[in-house]
Amino acid sequence: MDRAGAQARIIQLAIFALAAGGWYFVTAAGGVSRLLLPSPGEVGTTLLRLIQTKSFWNSVGVTFSSILQAYVIAVVGGIVAGYLVTRSKTAMGVLEPVLAGLFTIPLTLLLPLFILFFGIGPASKIAYGATYAFFPVALNTIAAFGHFDERWLRAAQSMGASRWQTFRHILLPGAFPVLVTGLRIGFVICFASVLGGETIASAVGIGHNIALSAEQMEPGRLYAWIAFVTITAVTLNLLITSIENTIVRRDRK
Amino acid sequence: MSATSPNDIAISIRNITQRFGEEGAPDSVLALDDVSLDIRKGEFVCLLGPSGCGKSTILNIVGGLFRPTSGTTLVEGRSVEGTPHTDQIAFVFQESTLFPWYTVIENFRIAMKFRGMAASEWDDRAMKALKAVGMASFARHYPDQLSVGMRQRVNMARGICVETPILLMDEPFAALDEQTRMVLGEDLSQLLAATGKTIVFVTHSLAEAVFLSDRIAVMTARPGKIKTIIDVNEAHPRSPDFMLEPRFSELRNQCYALLRDEIRATMAAQRDPAGVEA
Amino acid sequence: MSTASSTLGSSGAATSRRAFHLRMILIVGIVAALEFYGRFVADATLFSPPSKIVQSFFTDIMGDARIVRALWICIVEIAVAYVLSIVFGVTTGLLVGATPFTRRAFFPVVIALYVIPQVSFLPLTILLFGLGPAAKIAFGFSHAIFPIIINVVSGMRTVRELHLNAARSMGASRLDTIRHVVLPHMVPSLFTGLRLGMTLNLLGVILAELYVSNSGVGFFTRLFAEDFNPGPLFALIGSLAIIAIAFNEIVRIAERRLTPGAHRKTIIKTAGKEKQ
Repeated sequence: MDRAGAQARIIQLAIFALAAGGWYFVTAAGGVSRLLLPSPGEVGTTLLRLIQTKSFWNSVGVTFSSILQAYVIAVVGGIVAGYLVTRSKTAMGVLEPVLAGLFTIPLTLLLPLFILFFGIGPASKIAYGATYAFFPVALNTIAAFGHFDERWLRAAQSMGASRWQTFRHILLPGAFPVLVTGLRIGFVICFASVLGGETIASAVGIGHNIALSAEQMEPGRLYAWIAFVTITAVTLNLLITSIENTIVRRDRK
Repeated sequence: MSATSPNDIAISIRNITQRFGEEGAPDSVLALDDVSLDIRKGEFVCLLGPSGCGKSTILNIVGGLFRPTSGTTLVEGRSVEGTPHTDQIAFVFQESTLFPWYTVIENFRIAMKFRGMAASEWDDRAMKALKAVGMASFARHYPDQLSVGMRQRVNMARGICVETPILLMDEPFAALDEQTRMVLGEDLSQLLAATGKTIVFVTHSLAEAVFLSDRIAVMTARPGKIKTIIDVNEAHPRSPDFMLEPRFSELRNQCYALLRDEIRATMAAQRDPAGVEA
Repeated sequence: MSTASSTLGSSGAATSRRAFHLRMILIVGIVAALEFYGRFVADATLFSPPSKIVQSFFTDIMGDARIVRALWICIVEIAVAYVLSIVFGVTTGLLVGATPFTRRAFFPVVIALYVIPQVSFLPLTILLFGLGPAAKIAFGFSHAIFPIIINVVSGMRTVRELHLNAARSMGASRLDTIRHVVLPHMVPSLFTGLRLGMTLNLLGVILAELYVSNSGVGFFTRLFAEDFNPGPLFALIGSLAIIAIAFNEIVRIAERRLTPGAHRKTIIKTAGKEKQ
């Protein structure tokens, strides 16, 4: 690493240390109410205690199974719908702006409806997460297949490629990087949506526990859950990024 | 056009008209208007003309990528009906048509796979063509790892490896700098002398057209017609010395004089109505 | 090739007009189908036909002063959160992007914070800021500020050396260069950030509104849902959607008006792609 890079890293570490140290000293000095900001030690021990309980892993299981189900629905639906739309110029002209427009509206608004239709259980969160994540997957599928570089198609055509060959060897690998971007964004949105749905209206799951700890004024548990979600999200993000870098080998310019 | 027996004709373009959009519709464009041209076997013909004159459209029709509005095209006596005759014709486009998700060698394999050639032949042919352009050691590289000039060598080799009698080249060197262009042009002239291929080449460059062609078909502004055909009597392979001869400059100037009016006509059509008088 | 592409270009206007008409037909068709479904098929405790929803909008929503007030509060929250996120987001972005070094040092911190799912902080935000508008403004603000910072920084990064040299060659001072090259260059990227910022701002405010279920919009959505009264519920959600669309449109119109050389090629990228 060069000098400027090392200095930058030092500054980043300093910011982190400042935040952590600030948290520690403020709570140790009793500057803020324990109800709003418990000490790092309390959060740590609460989290350690939490992860040894069965109910903790039950909640985690419910949330992750909901996320997974919602994601599978969104991916299958989004890719199939997106691909079909790109097969017709007219359909693309008509539908792409509609989908892009709908995606700028906070679809959180649909949550009360999903709860009305599917009840307070995981089904409403699955429907909500799947609906929200459907959009980035479908939009990126449309971008990948619909705005495909004509020159590659023409080159393949000039070589006498069949329809299936064109799809298998040209369209699919050419569209892949954009498609993968859609899958990644879809997952992030799916994760946040299910969690958000559980926070607002649920009787089970991680989100429910976060909301419950806040209502019961148990800051230790509240912060422990937030810490767990943050650690999970950061880990998943690193994992997804490295998978993405592996399967999309070349960074195309 | 000199009289030749039908057996000597590689490509025969007869009364091709190409219209995009419905006739009479406000956005309808007449791209080609009754174009006829015979190209002999082993001949190098350049299509030279202003942007948008339909040069590439002719190539796409001959290659079977477009079906013309009217007229016929015969390749080696067989009519082209909007299906590529891949056993006789190979296309070379700009270097950016190398598929970036495949390595150099995979790009060759896929081109031969699409043509239905036996898999056992792929690698031998690919390496032979790569050797011919001096790129054999880059077979396992991805196109993005090569320079533009290297990519264009590979791209040319991809068109050559299938060993078709006819090569259609659509502004293949447009993205290259002039020096690289010239060197690749020399390579192409050598290839032509060695293999006796028939080549139809679309270009904007006057020098390129004169240096490479046996005949130059100068086209008019849209709707595209063939304005004149200029003969360049110089045997292949051509050496760079050809460019120093007075004849080269004369031919180049002749082409420019023919094109100038057409380019002005194109620019006038693009200018806004309130523009200044030319 | 040039021929083919210019043909596409000239027929583009006709094609998009046709697409617009088809889109309208599609929307009318969907509304008609929902009307039929709502009237003759659906369970009246779960679904209302569009005509009833419109009727409900005028009677139950506009006719109820408490709901109208809740919607107004929502609008104010969205606007305040947005203004705050622009002020702080642009300032932070300019500071982070000021030099290559500050960018290297601070930009990864911004990105790292952006990765954290903010929704897990929703109950905490309410705990800290109370049940009133302050919490909702804070939550909208914390959602909107990140895309704004990120796009300001990347807008500053991509100023072309060629343009800077051209300005220098014309004798531009440092201030001139910033005023006439750097800032205009940033505008498209800034608006990308502002557009995404608005989308996330709306998300943040509405999430917080729905979470607080003993007052405001969240109270009424819960009330109507628990009463199995879909007419007003749909009408209320529709009103919020219209508010969201209006805010998005304001940003889009501002973008079209204020981007220098707005005719420059629109980049066809989906909203999702820009998000990253």
